[in-house]
Amino acid sequence: MPDNNMTRRKFLATGIGVISGAIALGVGGAAITAVVAPAVTNKREDKWVEAGNADDLVQGQFNKINIAYDAKDAWMEGKIKLLAYVKPDGDNLFALSATCSHLGCNVKFDEQSGKFKCPCHTGVYDATGKNISGPPPKPLSHLEAKIEDGKLFINTGIKEA
Amino acid sequence: MIGRIIDVFDRRFKFKDDFKKNVLDHPVPPRVNFTYCFGGITFLLYVLLLVTGIAAMFFYVPSVEHAFATVEYMTFDLPLGNIIRGIHHWSANLMVVFVCLHMLRVFVYGAYKNPREFHWVSGVFLLGITLAFSFTGYLLPWDQKAYWATKVGVLMPKSIPLVGDFITRLLMGGSDLGALTISRFFAIHVVVLPILTAVFLVAHFLMIRRTGIAKPL
Ligand code: FES
Repeated sequence: MPDNNMTRRKFLATGIGVISGAIALGVGGAAITAVVAPAVTNKREDKWVEAGNADDLVQGQFNKINIAYDAKDAWMEGKIKLLAYVKPDGDNLFALSATCSHLGCNVKFDEQSGKFKCPCHTGVYDATGKNISGPPPKPLSHLEAKIEDGKLFINTGIKEA
Repeated sequence: MIGRIIDVFDRRFKFKDDFKKNVLDHPVPPRVNFTYCFGGITFLLYVLLLVTGIAAMFFYVPSVEHAFATVEYMTFDLPLGNIIRGIHHWSANLMVVFVCLHMLRVFVYGAYKNPREFHWVSGVFLLGITLAFSFTGYLLPWDQKAYWATKVGVLMPKSIPLVGDFITRLLMGGSDLGALTISRFFAIHVVVLPILTAVFLVAHFLMIRRTGIAKPL
């Protein structure tokens, strides 16, 4: 026979359960949010960085461009480094990121074959950046590049290709 | 849904009844009052400190150069980082308060007497551990307050005859409060003390289970 005592018990047990659950969810939720948040909020931003003199670029060839720029790395002022290949063709600039689309090694332009080769798992891209053999699933990303006042500028905000 | 999952395991391991009998429906002496909650509240605070402490470790770097900047980053840039740090801060302060209240209750009720002397003894160890947590944790943000408070703290043992000087050097990791101090305080705070706490807490809980809590006056 369910008497009053039983309902009181149930009531208290449920109450304790709800309060404990709320505390666990609140604190656990805050902890998980904080730990997960940087994965969502820390993105590489669009940023035009200077990458050398335009005069140094050799026409009609892939020029290897080292880009290093200051960026905020959480609590530190850090340097972010990127490697790019820029080919001036008349007034046009063709720029590729050297970051392999497989697992992120830097590809190297091979003058002889006119192809980009990745040292890590033998990925190969043609001169337009298209992946032609090996594991890379996608072409090399294209970068925005421009020349202003005799300086080469590259936009570091790569749209994930 | 969750009940069904629990049942799958219960059919094999039969823990539901034991759990009910020993935890949810465990009988306590009549006329216990809210002062009997102080120990439990202390434990709750400890769990909160554990959870927020683990979250904080994802961001904190125990080095003279970075410690303050990482705490600043957590507090002002990280989403909900100030909540994590706030809960850790307040739980830490409240834990000391509730440890004292708990001990006061046990003392006033004479609950430490035979057969519960060792509950008290393990409790005194836990008090010491709690204070060590407070002392080591205080330094970690590496701000002015932390630095000078710790300086005062580590120099206190120096006045002990014979061994005092060595104890101070042991705490600081040498003759200056610096890089080695912050890394050893960090190691003590996040590894050594939690393990010690676990050992003494389990002993504390098992003993109280065995003897039951003392009857109210
Ligand atoms: S990273 Fe380039 S082929 Fe694997």
